[in-house]
Amino acid sequence: MALRGIKVLELAGLAPVPVCGMILADYGAAVTRVDRPGTVLNYDVTARGKRSIALDLKKKEGVDIVRDLSKKHDILIEPFRPGVMEKLGLGPKILTEENPSLIYVRLTGFGQTGPYKKMAGHDINYLAMSGVLSFLGRKNENPLAPINLLADFAGGSFVCAMGVMAALLERSASGKGQVIDSCMVEGAAYVGSWLYASKEMNIWGNPRGQNFLDSGVHFYETYKTADDKYMAVGALEPQFYSVFLDKLGLTDEELPQFGEPDEMKAKLAGIFATKTQDEWSKIFDGSDACVTPVLDTEQAAQHYHNVDRKSFLPGGMPRPAPILSRTPAIPASTDLNIEPGANTLEVLQENGYTQDQINNLLDQNIIEQHGHKAKL
Amino acid sequence: MALRGIKVLELAGLAPVPVCGMILADYGAAVTRVDRPGTVLNYDVTARGKRSIALDLKKKEGVDIVRDLSKKHDILIEPFRPGVMEKLGLGPKILTEENPSLIYVRLTGFGQTGPYKKMAGHDINYLAMSGVLSFLGRKNENPLAPINLLADFAGGSFVCAMGVMAALLERSASGKGQVIDSCMVEGAAYVGSWLYASKEMNIWGNPRGQNFLDSGVHFYETYKTADDKYMAVGALEPQFYSVFLDKLGLTDEELPQFGEPDEMKSKLAGIFAAKTQDEWSKIFDGSDACVTPVLDTEQAAQHYHNVDRKSFLPGGMPRPAPILSRTPAIPASTDLNIEPGANTLEVLQENGYTQDQINNLLDQNIIEQHGNKAKL
Repeated sequence: MALRGIKVLELAGLAPVPVCGMILADYGAAVTRVDRPGTVLNYDVTARGKRSIALDLKKKEGVDIVRDLSKKHDILIEPFRPGVMEKLGLGPKILTEENPSLIYVRLTGFGQTGPYKKMAGHDINYLAMSGVLSFLGRKNENPLAPINLLADFAGGSFVCAMGVMAALLERSASGKGQVIDSCMVEGAAYVGSWLYASKEMNIWGNPRGQNFLDSGVHFYETYKTADDKYMAVGALEPQFYSVFLDKLGLTDEELPQFGEPDEMKAKLAGIFATKTQDEWSKIFDGSDACVTPVLDTEQAAQHYHNVDRKSFLPGGMPRPAPILSRTPAIPASTDLNIEPGANTLEVLQENGYTQDQINNLLDQNIIEQHGHKAKL
Repeated sequence: MALRGIKVLELAGLAPVPVCGMILADYGAAVTRVDRPGTVLNYDVTARGKRSIALDLKKKEGVDIVRDLSKKHDILIEPFRPGVMEKLGLGPKILTEENPSLIYVRLTGFGQTGPYKKMAGHDINYLAMSGVLSFLGRKNENPLAPINLLADFAGGSFVCAMGVMAALLERSASGKGQVIDSCMVEGAAYVGSWLYASKEMNIWGNPRGQNFLDSGVHFYETYKTADDKYMAVGALEPQFYSVFLDKLGLTDEELPQFGEPDEMKSKLAGIFAAKTQDEWSKIFDGSDACVTPVLDTEQAAQHYHNVDRKSFLPGGMPRPAPILSRTPAIPASTDLNIEPGANTLEVLQENGYTQDQINNLLDQNIIEQHGNKAKL
């Protein structure tokens, strides 16, 4: 796999960093999550393929372990506000001096520099600051962030993982590491690049929620079915809109593509409400009407197209994308939960720590091994 | 830069492929877009750093040019339904046989296999099929796709670009290329992994639009200001909620964090409506209340935090993310429009075509050079 042999230290944090670690693990990296001892709330729900060590970074010996491990790892990812790692003595300057091929990754909302760098925030704030949130949401309603998908994950975890791969590529030529400042405001904006670039196109021009792609037309919208599920209509092009009408048994006069949106939506809502999602799915199945059921996660994992492609793993998680024909990303395990400190002893042993050293660290509560407090 | 020296052939198509090409160009690849002669509608609004050649792929000689160029390029990206390239004689089997280190990238909605592989669709359909759309949208309303950001771009262009980098990484070890099946249904699902994984957490459990992160609570929501702009509130943690209340001059009794959502939202709506976005921005600026203005694209490019970080390029486009300290992705140009066929002659010359060959191809209308129909 693409990242086979690559070793990653992931300092435990909220969703964006664990998901970034998940991607790297999916692509074959050996990811070790560094947790605090006594961690009760394990935020990492995407821990497949990872291991965990628990260290007390408030103690010098704990910090020394991370410094030592950083010399034997390729990538370190940290989620903290700028300055936290430096205060611990684990800042990029020190660690990259001791290991010039280390790729030191910092994934935060507002970035490592700038007036807001130490401000608290969440996805909705980063998305708001990026300009992207201003596009989202129905007319006459407040802007709506799509959960935390665009800043935390798309513009966070995924843009960050892509940057890591770029840095690894560059390192394969230069032999050198570097520091990655992965800022979610910027990642979200970058993911939304096309919005900024397409502003002059005729698909824009009206207020939010009244354009072609943002719920302003009836032929790019979702509709409720008789059984309180939904169908998604995306019939943008005239030739697809024709098929759409044909499947509904309607003429263009009855539902003109450029009829008044609210009126057309009301009409379609009435039509879609008369049959179940299953019935509509069969009617549109395989046609070019650009109509598909809105599936929940269970349905998605069971839909025959997705089943054919094995788009979902056993257990229902999405399979890593995209598919590389020769060396696809295959998660080492589908177990999403790794207990904090599950592998502390084995990881230290692998990295040259003796039984005595380890026992010492255990005694002083510098390290913690999940489920095991006895000496070796 | 990470992709310096990498040569990409991008077959022109709708938004997802051009944006993928943009990312690779941003990271230093030499991207050549292959257009059809006589192209009127140029869909590529993110063409910065690219060149374009115009070839008639309906003619054997045009196909031969692509076959020939594929032997001298590292990556080919195509957006067509499965079978189209094969029919042209440019399928992956032929091209990877002739160039075993070629990375052949296929970016589509439903993927290269499966019952829906030849069905037309758009972002809203792919998102519906992934399971992710079922999470999005306010309560008592139909699901709302965030424009075409999640399937076309996040799960399309960006996941695809990441896969390309992974394949390049793998190739630097093995010397071999491979075929990438980048399916937007799967990319969108993969980007949404955390949603599938976090289902058991207490932040979920209610119907759509009634949970913590999907507009179900008043402290993770947007509010309209006196001047018809918006503020974004993301005060999830109690300590941040305290700061939020403090800045509003409210007590916990007046606006309890776990008060009835609609009631709390109403109250906050009334409060936020009393001041302008600027006034609110100043009140919350730099605090840990997790409140930020919802900026449009112009405001985002001018916000002092983003300006300090140069988050936006001259002209207003988002700067490529993330920042690699030593070899950042710096777009070669900010010009977003490249005319179809702008560089046909120079590209062919670079690739060993003689003046006679080129004149011949021009005469037969196999190739087209923008703005220049004369012989050399």
